[in-house]
Amino acid sequence: MFVTGVGVVSSIGLGKAAFFRALRAGKTGISPVASFDASSLGRQLAGEVRGFEARDHLTLAEQRRVGRCSAMALAASRMAVDDAALDPSRLDAVRVAVVLGTTMGEAEILGDLEHDWIVGGPTAVRRASIPRYGSTLLPIHVARAVGARGMVLTLPAACAAGNYAIGFAADLIRRGRADVVVTGAAELIQELQFSGFVRLAAMASERCQPFDLNRQGLLLGEGAGLLVLESEEHAVRRGARLQAEIGGHALSCDAYHITRPHPEAAGSITAMRDAIARSGLVPADIDFVNAHGTGTRHNDAAESKVVREVFGGRRVPISSMKSMLGHCMGAASALEAIGCIFTLETGLYPPTIGYDTPDPECDVDVVANVARAGKSDVVVNNSLAFGGYNSVAIFARPGLLAPPRPPVSGTAA
Amino acid sequence: MNPLAITGAGVVSPVGIGRAAFGDAMRSGALPESFDRPTTFDGTKYPRTRAAEVPDFDASKYLGDKGLRALDRLTKLLVVTARLALHDAGLKRDGLWTAGSAERVGLVVSNAYGSLEAITELDRVATLEDARYINPSRFPLTVSNTAAGYTSIWEDLRALNVSVSDGNCGALDAVICANMLLEQGRADALLVGGAEAMSEAIALAFDRLGALADGAFLGEGAALLALEPLERARARGAAIVATIVGHGAAFSPPEREATLVYGSAESVERAVREALAEAEVEPADVDAVVSGASGLGVFDTAELEGIDAVLGASGGDGCVLAPKRALGETFGAGGAMAMLAAATLLSDGSHSHVLRGRLRASPRTALVTAMGYYGNASALVLRHFSR
Repeated sequence: MFVTGVGVVSSIGLGKAAFFRALRAGKTGISPVASFDASSLGRQLAGEVRGFEARDHLTLAEQRRVGRCSAMALAASRMAVDDAALDPSRLDAVRVAVVLGTTMGEAEILGDLEHDWIVGGPTAVRRASIPRYGSTLLPIHVARAVGARGMVLTLPAACAAGNYAIGFAADLIRRGRADVVVTGAAELIQELQFSGFVRLAAMASERCQPFDLNRQGLLLGEGAGLLVLESEEHAVRRGARLQAEIGGHALSCDAYHITRPHPEAAGSITAMRDAIARSGLVPADIDFVNAHGTGTRHNDAAESKVVREVFGGRRVPISSMKSMLGHCMGAASALEAIGCIFTLETGLYPPTIGYDTPDPECDVDVVANVARAGKSDVVVNNSLAFGGYNSVAIFARPGLLAPPRPPVSGTAA
Repeated sequence: MNPLAITGAGVVSPVGIGRAAFGDAMRSGALPESFDRPTTFDGTKYPRTRAAEVPDFDASKYLGDKGLRALDRLTKLLVVTARLALHDAGLKRDGLWTAGSAERVGLVVSNAYGSLEAITELDRVATLEDARYINPSRFPLTVSNTAAGYTSIWEDLRALNVSVSDGNCGALDAVICANMLLEQGRADALLVGGAEAMSEAIALAFDRLGALADGAFLGEGAALLALEPLERARARGAAIVATIVGHGAAFSPPEREATLVYGSAESVERAVREALAEAEVEPADVDAVVSGASGLGVFDTAELEGIDAVLGASGGDGCVLAPKRALGETFGAGGAMAMLAAATLLSDGSHSHVLRGRLRASPRTALVTAMGYYGNASALVLRHFSR
């Protein structure tokens, strides 16, 4: 199955073209938090999306229905459908599904409901806002916007949610359950999550510096990355431009710690090998790894171990877009998947900005500070999440993966 | 789809803990001990909203005392349920693997609202004191896949861990996820179902909306089915409770653009048709429908309308069951309890919560339906299994 369209709402650009320009330039989306008062927390930076106005993308009725997270998802879905040159009126709507990832969904609606309740008691809670909260709602709003009538599903796989959604969307097509799936993920920064990461001592004060010796932790980000996936038959029949082929994807679970990756990273190594094998490839075929790269001590060390283990002596280039965007939680791996498409389309690896000092614990070939040109036929999107979730997806230049693509029989260890 | 064998189940519900007790309750028609004395919050504040908890739920009876303090109610419900399911399916005995292994067994869990308990707890501290005082060890609980993540840790399930959310339809959708994962050889066995915990926030929401006026009530709990490819289950000599042979899911937009909350009969109809077609079952061969009817009038009406559009006069004796009469509305867990109710029906032929019609003797095929609040619906077909 193929990616035929992408849409982006991010702190470094709205729309695919602006997003690609920013990835090429190594632009930062980090700025002082403006949407709430973070002054007591001792941290004030995040990758908030600026210049996104729901009214520029949504109808009046939609603006009344949705919260900010769905608004970003909905806007990105319209961009993706436009980019795919899909004509909704010519789609067989019941064969179109919507599968989205998120961690908290409409978090600001819940935050407002809770605030009103805690301050003013039960009767202060606004009735009309209650049904507007729910993780179910993101794909519902998107399905209504793009005219989909098939399955709607949210995969709340925390910080790996985007990859989970894309992998599941690919499975739906692979198993003949849909012809087209609008997929990806959306997330917004909300005070509770910001405070939580500060209290976990996971947040940097100045910069997010993945793989750097002096890295201090993550910064939060937000945004939406949506993709149109189509079966080969459907895409070819309508003459769609194929942007990327989805190869194998793989999952595993550490069953070790609720927030930290396993230090030996066995589950993550298994998942990366499995995803490559399911694409009918070997590690030598992989040109670039779009890393999870949060900028925390534990994550980057464990992820470096995975890359060294899977690729042996070969130093495969690796980079973390979180250096530019911050950690967009549920949306992170969806935006990084679109970063994989950037690499396939431009032949460039996005840079890890703010990279100063190599860390012996992260002995990998980091694409430091400026985008690098290199072979760009097959790339890996790696993501991890709270709960010990590991998820890996492979993106390839269209037509490159050998049929039958990809194998469906199990190779999991 | 290739048939999936249900080789066991775990369940924690207001009318019983464990598959046997749950089955007894479905047969006897037992109702919750109490509808209006929740322990998780002061029920007198919400007189219009009846809530049935799992009575005297004590996770330490199943899990021991160590490590429970870090967990919220949702997580405890799910971990206990997983432990019961692994034991019931013969995958583990006394905590040790007897069939399968940690690397080849995983979890697919539906949940609709996450841990509102933990979110509210932290929001209270942040609002009434200061965000810098929130408890970092409680923060991960606010993330909705945390209950599933802890369950993998407690039960050592490493093949994969998937959380799904589709409101009341999520647990049925979890089966379609699990089916595709098993078909692709990503695991040998999966625990599949859903969990939802009682919380004041949910009670408050339904009370403010006046949504439970028709006699519906809120429930809580978790149910997980152990699912394996039929051939594998047979080969290992597992006791097979029933099989799952078809699935459908659909969404339909409302007539008016301004509408947000509605039940779609069209979605139910399409989901049922898709599930029956996949199962290669004729409408006349459906012996009973285990519905999601909960007492919420407009939704129940639309669900029945969608069922009738497919089964109509040919739908057996029009027998529709409503286990939520005893279980209450458990959102993300509801479909999992309905599947277990259907599996129980197919293995022993009796059920108390008949909403409509007459139950045929020796039912062989059951349809399970679920209806969301936003135009979504899902359906599953279960078959009696005979050796």
